Amino acid sequence: MQPQLKSKVRCLDRDVGEVSRVIMDPLSFEVSHLVVSMNGEGERQVPMAAVQIVTDGLVQLRSSSSEVVGMPPFKRDDYVTLHEVEIPGLEKHVHVTPGEVLVPFPELERNVKRRTFFANMTYVTGLFIGLPLAYPILKFLMKPMYAPFDNRWLKIGNIGKVKTDDTGVQFQYKRTLKEAYMPESEIEKNVWVVKATPAVLEKVYQGKDMEFRDAAGTAIWTNKKDMPYLAFSGKCPHLGCAFKWRKHKVLGQVFLCPCHLSIYDASGKVLDGPAPRSLDMLPIQVSASGEVQIVDMEFKAGTKSQTRIV
Amino acid sequence: MSDIPPVGAQPTVAEKIFTFVDERVGLKLLAAKMLNEAVPGGSRWAYVFGSVLLFIFIMQAITGALLMFYYVPTADHAYDSTQYILHEIDYGWFLLSYHFWGSSAMVVCVFAHMSQVFLWGAYKKPRELIWVVGLALFGLVMAFGFTGYLLPWDQRAYWATTVGVEIVDKVPLLGDFMARFLKGGPIPGQMTLSRFFVIHVMILPAALIALAGLHLFLFRCAGPAGPFRGTPTELKAKTDYFFPRQIWKDIVGMAVVFACISALAFWEPVVLLDEATPDPGDYHPEPEWYFLFIFQHLRLRMFSGEFGQFLASIALPGALGVVLLLLPFFDRNPERNIFKRPLALIGWVMSDRWP
Repeated sequence: MQPQLKSKVRCLDRDVGEVSRVIMDPLSFEVSHLVVSMNGEGERQVPMAAVQIVTDGLVQLRSSSSEVVGMPPFKRDDYVTLHEVEIPGLEKHVHVTPGEVLVPFPELERNVKRRTFFANMTYVTGLFIGLPLAYPILKFLMKPMYAPFDNRWLKIGNIGKVKTDDTGVQFQYKRTLKEAYMPESEIEKNVWVVKATPAVLEKVYQGKDMEFRDAAGTAIWTNKKDMPYLAFSGKCPHLGCAFKWRKHKVLGQVFLCPCHLSIYDASGKVLDGPAPRSLDMLPIQVSASGEVQIVDMEFKAGTKSQTRIV
Repeated sequence: MSDIPPVGAQPTVAEKIFTFVDERVGLKLLAAKMLNEAVPGGSRWAYVFGSVLLFIFIMQAITGALLMFYYVPTADHAYDSTQYILHEIDYGWFLLSYHFWGSSAMVVCVFAHMSQVFLWGAYKKPRELIWVVGLALFGLVMAFGFTGYLLPWDQRAYWATTVGVEIVDKVPLLGDFMARFLKGGPIPGQMTLSRFFVIHVMILPAALIALAGLHLFLFRCAGPAGPFRGTPTELKAKTDYFFPRQIWKDIVGMAVVFACISALAFWEPVVLLDEATPDPGDYHPEPEWYFLFIFQHLRLRMFSGEFGQFLASIALPGALGVVLLLLPFFDRNPERNIFKRPLALIGWVMSDRWP
């Protein structure tokens, strides 16, 4: 029990006064000293060690009255009040006040029903402001998020560049981009072309032509299973980095993504690493004169199934 | 603690989370301190304007942030991106028009708020500092209006800025420097747009948040002034707390203002003029209505010439500002009843009619 303010202070021989203040230790959060008002003869600072027992309204000391009188007088200037200092948590440990300090509740606030009514009306009015805005704001922000697909054929170079079979050859190309209010701009992209041997072709097509569809589901192009040229989107299906055609110590010539070390063979199948699916094939056609054209597409990375996003 | 659940009842997850946070930050005490603010004489509709201004500012911040999703502050695309917001994006016209009309609503409510404080004598001791900080906030609101006006980069924007900055140029000694500082050069251009943009979306909001916080802090220190009539016993009998009755009135005020701004945005959406260019063509420049009184004064013969310009556009508005700033310091009569302050009443009516 903490000593209460105004408690009587009793020494071994007689009462010496009452508790006028207490001093808290800012580290231990315990009462360290009592300030005893000596019945008009000044104040003494008494350490808690001198206290024998604390009861309601009474503090019994182990000392005699002459010892207490001989203790150092209390120096007010050496202290600040609890309100003048911020020591987090200290206030919770103070139980020395004679009781709670109360302020009367205003007359008008005593009717709980009315308070609740006004509170609920406030929430309803708040909803009246907030709700009509939610949908417009969402639509406002969504506008550029879903762009239609562009299925134009883009010329990317001449097939004469591909000299050896089952080897990745990079073709750079440019495509135009029109974003919102910005003028039309050109961006550079790349695609990997492989001239596949029948064995690799079989691995890719497994005897079936590959059909490409637009957003509405209508077919836009079919890669024939016996056409030897394959085009792979330059974006790694793992997390969208740019992969390269590299020599691997064990696996030989492979497509290798430097970011997370996904490895694919010339048919685009995953040989090693974290990739969830094979490389993404693009529609490709090669003219009689060797002109290579593709449809620029991009697919969502990191998923097992293929989802077109561009 | 009075609301300890009965023995045996298991606290729900929400209660556990609340208790967890409450133990660490004292939420209940904080909420009580915030909401249990005694309003002497009770809640009133006249007190809603401060809260309404805070609401308008928050809405300006929200719509402004949304506009920045598309707007770019460059001389070659500011106009295009604004037109894109107005004509291409779903509800872009509404959010931009709300932001536009919101700025006017802000000025209207600032006048209402200041008038209420003035008529109630609420600027007097011990509330002088609240008034002074409030005037600074008023200055920020006008600066918001002035800088935001340029951003769409149409003819109206360009010419309002051109004229406005020429007025700044007439400030004695520092005028030339200030005008060049604002323009970022000798004439309005990309540098001006960049400067106005960063002032509008970064510096002014930061300053306004800081000063509004100070304004509220000072208000909480002094407490609400309450009505100017009534004995202490009458006031005490009518006193209630900020929550829930004053908050309820405040939010109704907010809803009304929200409906008004939305209606204006709906029926009078923003329409841009041609893209900004130093050739006005057929366009007759005119500022926003809250700068119009300066604009009109400058047409009067008595304000012609270099000194006249200085008088109408710098000295008189400046003097008005200084008078308002010093008001609580020379008006030291503790009487707050406006009907016993004839000079103040006449002054308020005059300043209302003046523009």
